[in-house]
Amino acid sequence: MNAPPRPRPTLAVPWHSLRLRFVLSILLWVSLGIGAIWYSSIRLFERHVEASYHEELEVHLRELARLTRLDAEGAPKLTRPLSDPRYEEPLSGFYWQVSLPGQPPLRSESMTRGALDEGIAHSPNVVHKVLGGPTGPAITYGFTRPAPGGHVLHFVIATDQRHLDRLVRDFTRELTVWLVVLAVTLLATGIAIISFGLRPLDRLAMAISRLRSGGSARLEGRYPAEIEPLVDDLNAFIEQNTEIIARARVQAGNLAHSLRTPLAVITDEAERLAESGQAPEAAAVLLDQARRMGQQIEYQLARARSSAGARLPGTASALPEMLEPIVSAMRRLHRDRTFVLDADPQAAVVLPIDPVDLSELVSILVDNAGKWAASRVVVAVRRAAGGVEISVTDDGPGMTAAQIAEACEIGRRFDEAMPGAGLGLAIAREIARDIGATLSLAALAPPARGLCCRVLLPG
Amino acid sequence: MRLLLVEDDAELGRRLGDRLRGAGFAVDLATTRADAEAWPEMEHIDAVVLDLGLPDGSGMDLLRHWRGGRVDTPILILTARGSWQDKVAGLNAGADDFVVKPVRFEELLARLNALLRRQSGQRESALEAGGIRLDPITREVTLDGAPLQLSRQEFRLLHLFLRRAGHVLPQADIIEHLYELGELRDRNTVEVLVGRLRRKVGTQRITTQRGLGYRFEK
Repeated sequence: MNAPPRPRPTLAVPWHSLRLRFVLSILLWVSLGIGAIWYSSIRLFERHVEASYHEELEVHLRELARLTRLDAEGAPKLTRPLSDPRYEEPLSGFYWQVSLPGQPPLRSESMTRGALDEGIAHSPNVVHKVLGGPTGPAITYGFTRPAPGGHVLHFVIATDQRHLDRLVRDFTRELTVWLVVLAVTLLATGIAIISFGLRPLDRLAMAISRLRSGGSARLEGRYPAEIEPLVDDLNAFIEQNTEIIARARVQAGNLAHSLRTPLAVITDEAERLAESGQAPEAAAVLLDQARRMGQQIEYQLARARSSAGARLPGTASALPEMLEPIVSAMRRLHRDRTFVLDADPQAAVVLPIDPVDLSELVSILVDNAGKWAASRVVVAVRRAAGGVEISVTDDGPGMTAAQIAEACEIGRRFDEAMPGAGLGLAIAREIARDIGATLSLAALAPPARGLCCRVLLPG
Repeated sequence: MRLLLVEDDAELGRRLGDRLRGAGFAVDLATTRADAEAWPEMEHIDAVVLDLGLPDGSGMDLLRHWRGGRVDTPILILTARGSWQDKVAGLNAGADDFVVKPVRFEELLARLNALLRRQSGQRESALEAGGIRLDPITREVTLDGAPLQLSRQEFRLLHLFLRRAGHVLPQADIIEHLYELGELRDRNTVEVLVGRLRRKVGTQRITTQRGLGYRFEK
């Protein structure tokens, strides 16, 4: 028997899946975490850079005050340039200004145009604000110092806001890149962990799939401690179910057996009564009722067998192998007919159908064909749209459309001289229904003679 | 024709035995697998009617035992288990036909005779030779078209002769095929029986082959 194809875990994630839940949770968690880190880092950096700037500017302001002297004319002069050379570069964004009422203000060489608002320097305490500068908004510091003659010196120093903004922008950009990389890495790691963690569930899904397809009779494999009890319980349930069904089949068989033997005695007694001519009517009634009872036993037993088997997991029928013993038995049963098994190699398949049911169904059709055939019965297996088709074709008289319509009725017989109870096709139809197959009968088109019964098995 | 009927149900066994005897067969009855397996003189049994459900084992195993031991007697399974799984297994184990209980006696008889006919290579259901026609199902015998009344033993003997028409039948073979196990057997009885049959079918039809037996001339 061919091993059934192993089902592969599907890559598509269904909407209601644990995997999707985990991925979405991780995505949310990573996004929130990384977002919070991103926001707080930028804020912290801004504050840190601002504090550094402010501290630096305040130092520069105090250095400016320390280096400022009044010359002979009473105008402010620096004893030496500020230590930071950026105040020397034209329009560098670093500016200072010293003003004394009645004197032209002294400005840094960098300030080739414009002026700083000396209004900021209105008290001996350092005051700062963002004000307009020569090259745009500038963080401006100012304070006053008394000068000889009762005058007040106004010291103002400024740095363009853009420098601070650029630093923050550069930091933000770099931080964003690294945090995105971190987020992607975290997400990928999370997905990998989910896959690893859920792998036993994937294996369980495959084991269940194999069970359903008939590849195994129980859930196979070892599972983690959290899943193992579930698998053990399921296996125990399956075994119990199988046993119950097997027992039910045996009991149904036993019941039929225990009814049929006394029924055979009743039939015999009725026949004797009929032959004796003593009570022909009573004998006829007895014979008819005994025949009906026999029919019902056979029909109900076959139904019980197939409807129980149709729900049995882990059963599989291998085609065309399972047809060989049937054809071989029919060659023995109908020795003057030729039976041909014509199986397409492409149709070799293992189907999740109870072999007892399928062989019952096919046997009924082949036996019927053997009874009616003139000389030859062909049992063919082919791939067909929607599954695999088993066809049984004979070269007998065939059937009319009306006969085909009635053929599957219980007890319908078209030739009373033929052995049988007229139940075969009715049982075949029930089994086909139970196993999800489609049974159809068709007379061969003239000039050919005969009947073709087709069973389309899904899968 | 001598049959072995293997049936554990005493009532059904008795009834079937009576019916088959009435149809012209000598019938031996075995009620267990052990009895049937150890049945003496299997080579003289012309056909077996076998029930599959026996109290001490499966009739299927018995079937395999016989076929494994090269017993080629036609075997008809008569069972209350009617699934095709059982039928296919039985046929593939060497059974020649399969009948499910309850069965009308005529059908059983027809199937049994069909097996015997097949065994002897005949196609027609009635046996015919030398102007005599014997229908084993209806038990009608005609001589040149006229009905012929025969006793049960005479019918059995004629049936045996017609199945082996043209062949010499040793007296011992006639005894084995005509009498059931345990029935009183006497060579003189056979001679008397052959004599009676000769008178009814014509002396020229059954010739004595001295020291060998009898032959029914075709």
